[in-house]
Amino acid sequence: IPGVSSGCQGGCLTCSDYNGCLSCKPRLFIFLERNGMRQIGVCLPSCPSGFYGTRSPDRNTCTKCRPECDSCFNKNLCMRCRAGYYLHLGKCQESCPESLVCSDTQRECVPKCPV
Amino acid sequence: MLCVLTVLCWSWAVLGYGYGLQKDSSRAGLCPSPCQCEEDGIFVLADCSELGLTAVPANLSHLTTYLRISGNQLRYISGLALHGLHNLKVLMLQNNQLERLPNDIPWNLPNLLSLRLDANLLSEVPARSLGGLRSLRHLWLDDNSLTEIPVSALDSLPALQAMTLALNHITHIPDHAFSNLSSLVVLHLHNNQIQTMGERCFQGLLSLETLDLNYNNLPEFPTAIRTLAKLQELGFHNNNIRAIPERAFMGNRQLQTIHFYENPIQSVGRSAFQFLPKLHTLSLNGATQIRDFPDLKGTTSLETLELSHNQIEDLPSFYHCSALQEIGLQYNNIRRIERNTFQQLSSLRSLVFIIILYITEIPPSLYRDLSENSLTSLPVGGLGGLTHLKLKGNMELYEDFSPELFTRMRVVEMPYAYQCCVYGSCDSYKSISQLETEQSSEEEELDQRTVALYPIHTDTLYDPDLEDLQMELQESKLQTNIQCSPVPGPFRPCDSL
Repeated sequence: IPGVSSGCQGGCLTCSDYNGCLSCKPRLFIFLERNGMRQIGVCLPSCPSGFYGTRSPDRNTCTKCRPECDSCFNKNLCMRCRAGYYLHLGKCQESCPESLVCSDTQRECVPKCPV
Repeated sequence: MLCVLTVLCWSWAVLGYGYGLQKDSSRAGLCPSPCQCEEDGIFVLADCSELGLTAVPANLSHLTTYLRISGNQLRYISGLALHGLHNLKVLMLQNNQLERLPNDIPWNLPNLLSLRLDANLLSEVPARSLGGLRSLRHLWLDDNSLTEIPVSALDSLPALQAMTLALNHITHIPDHAFSNLSSLVVLHLHNNQIQTMGERCFQGLLSLETLDLNYNNLPEFPTAIRTLAKLQELGFHNNNIRAIPERAFMGNRQLQTIHFYENPIQSVGRSAFQFLPKLHTLSLNGATQIRDFPDLKGTTSLETLELSHNQIEDLPSFYHCSALQEIGLQYNNIRRIERNTFQQLSSLRSLVFIIILYITEIPPSLYRDLSENSLTSLPVGGLGGLTHLKLKGNMELYEDFSPELFTRMRVVEMPYAYQCCVYGSCDSYKSISQLETEQSSEEEELDQRTVALYPIHTDTLYDPDLEDLQMELQESKLQTNIQCSPVPGPFRPCDSL
């Protein structure tokens, strides 16, 4: 294919001078890294923070987590919230249920200290 | 009182100790070579990924909370190799060559929250191997060689919230496979070879919201889902399911999306989709034996209803479906449309209605896209909100429809090109190539406007998703001009011949 070379670095299977990796070696995730206006394909063993990976037989992709989530399992389950949000049962909320308190260090709803 | 004291001591330790640490970030013993470490207060984040390692680095600090050993050549990790890592919260072992997990002395990681074992060579998960991970919330076992659900091992993970067993060789889900996972919210089982499921295989999953059974070999509808009262997203597309039974989702009132395309579905119980008040998308295209329109009683939030390529003959009134925005009914056998069929659908934007058989009786308030028919006129009363109008193929329809009738119209397909003249200036004929150059310059202008609106500074963290951006701009651009086809031109003049 014109413009596509197979002599690529890292985990690339095919790449192009302009777009970087077009496909990855097995089991790696393709991630589109921003470089100014361009997006360069790179191959990673796991998606960067703020993205979650989805494996499938022919292509492993990275997808952005929800805005209030720093690190997620998939788009519906967060693992660590952004500052100002608190994790409760996989969701990022701005406040915590009655029986819990907001922990800013862990960014989670945690049990109240027993009095 | 005790709680206050504990907090005070802890913060003194963090401040005092942490301060000391930050001054001397390369303290011996905290970061084993050849790993690279960062400090997080008194804790350590260790990255030993992609170093060609065949064993876990020795003398990891007990203050390690994040350990990444992905992308190496580890075949086995004994329980002792991770001894003492009581503060460890995240352990990333994906993309290694792990063939088995320790069963005699399991890993003792009481505070571990996330464990990545995906992309390894595990063919089984021994019963006791996860016994020391009682706080575990997220488990990746996808892309391994498991042939069955590790039921016994999963019994020791009461705090688990999300798990993927996708891309394995699992063929059966036994009864009570996940009975102790009451906190599980997400379960991915896609890309396996699941053929059979116990009727009570999902019992115990009291919190499950997402179940992904896509790309398996299910020959029948998974009735076992009935116990999943909190299910919101269900996928079983790309299976071998032929029928959806009556009251199929009666136990899943919270369902919002159901994906089951790419199944040889031939029949759907009329009550299959009743009482799903949160369902917003239903696509039932290509189910070759659907003759009756599914009864959508109690399913009142539908926004998209896709029923093309069936054999539906009659349409009910969509009276209760006021949220409907899009209906696809192309390639059916609809013979008659009642006057009030679409009456209440104030938010309807697109109705696609290509009918193979000719409609003979057309009540005056008939609607939109009636390609491949024999319409001679189209009563347009009440169509003001339409955004898509498709009348291609109605070779007896000569009338053109003034844009004032459709204030929100975006896409129009007419039988003849001249009918598009009312939507654009037809005073001079443009050659096809002129139209194409105009089209490409418009795209360039769109890209520049993308840049102008959202100047990307590499130093700022603002990092818009380009696709969404262009979608938005494409939408806003469309509102200003209506895409009408076929495009008039020298060989498709603006006068009716």
